[in-house]
Amino acid sequence: MHRRSLILVTLLLALAVPLSASQFVQQPFDQVAREAGYVVRGHVVDTFSAWDSAHDVIYTYATVRVQRYIGETTGPDTLVVREVGGTVDGYTQEAIGFPMIRQGEQVVLFLSQWDDSADYRIHGFNQGKYLVRNRDGVEILVEDPVKQGDARMSRDGRFAIEPNSDTGLRMDEFVAMVDDARAGVTGTNRRQRD
Amino acid sequence: MKKQNLLTLAIATVIVTVTASPMMAYTLLSPRRTWATVPVTVQVNNAGNSSVNDSDHGVTAVVGAIRAWGIVNSSSTGSVAVRGTAPATIMLNTNGHICTGSCLAATLTGYYTGSTITDADIYTNTKYNYTSSRETDGCSGEYDIDGIMTHEVGHVIGLGHSSVAGATMYPSVSSCNFNNRSLEADDLAGKNDLY
Repeated sequence: MHRRSLILVTLLLALAVPLSASQFVQQPFDQVAREAGYVVRGHVVDTFSAWDSAHDVIYTYATVRVQRYIGETTGPDTLVVREVGGTVDGYTQEAIGFPMIRQGEQVVLFLSQWDDSADYRIHGFNQGKYLVRNRDGVEILVEDPVKQGDARMSRDGRFAIEPNSDTGLRMDEFVAMVDDARAGVTGTNRRQRD
Repeated sequence: MKKQNLLTLAIATVIVTVTASPMMAYTLLSPRRTWATVPVTVQVNNAGNSSVNDSDHGVTAVVGAIRAWGIVNSSSTGSVAVRGTAPATIMLNTNGHICTGSCLAATLTGYYTGSTITDADIYTNTKYNYTSSRETDGCSGEYDIDGIMTHEVGHVIGLGHSSVAGATMYPSVSSCNFNNRSLEADDLAGKNDLY
């Protein structure tokens, strides 16, 4: 099948999966890519959760070992990403529908700084996180099906943990898309990838 | 479009329809959890949202809208949300420092190990414009505060997202879309599963 047709099928299949972003405004990929301070491919080596200083919000801090900066950015070898939600002393706070970061994950993240601090967070919420899977030796990026609070258990009690890596985006395609977005390349001026 | 591409599109559409159908169901928050007693008390902070052009900036509209769930005892309040402490409180005028960027509204829930929700608060991103059922000036690029908060209160009572298009708990929302104000059968099935 022609590659463009495959992409078309992939996109349509992706549309069949419910967007897990509740009450979010879906942004164009290019916007998310342009606005992010960093785009990184990395490994989540550690996470821990803690209350903020006002004992108001539980945040989870994820240490991400960066394996690659994407989109003509560069930075430290390790980044700490802070996301709302987590468990401390048996009490769990969840921001329903927000992305989660779990220890051991291989990820691609769009990152930006919090408004009120220099800490990093996932930019664009669920649009800013991909899980990296390996398919026949090729890295594939897939949407994380597990968000905070929902999508882990359906009515019949099944868990929807493992994403479908058959419908993912190839890493080289993703990198080219990010490069184009951050360079301001649009429409017919985009590089030919077929 | 070439004939081959049209065929591909047709096949893909069939696949989409077939694969989407079995997923049509509400989900529950995981682990499954509910409030200890019903009705669930939900208060709406009376500061409202300044972009809502009705008499009290959306407060009365939201107080009424969220009663659609049938198990919610709603009222306005001068109190602000206190995280970790009931009652559930809707803040229309603050993002709580968590609902920024592309976030329209966010529900932050809390629970101890077990199956009881102890608190849930809702925050609103004030960088967007909202409309309400009590507005009379039409809708242009605004988001329906009645529907958004009805959806969020679905999370408050323990529901996750539904893959049924048109259901209030469907996870995507667009401007000037008022579908979320009314509960669909799937939403009610989810509520009845919990309570």
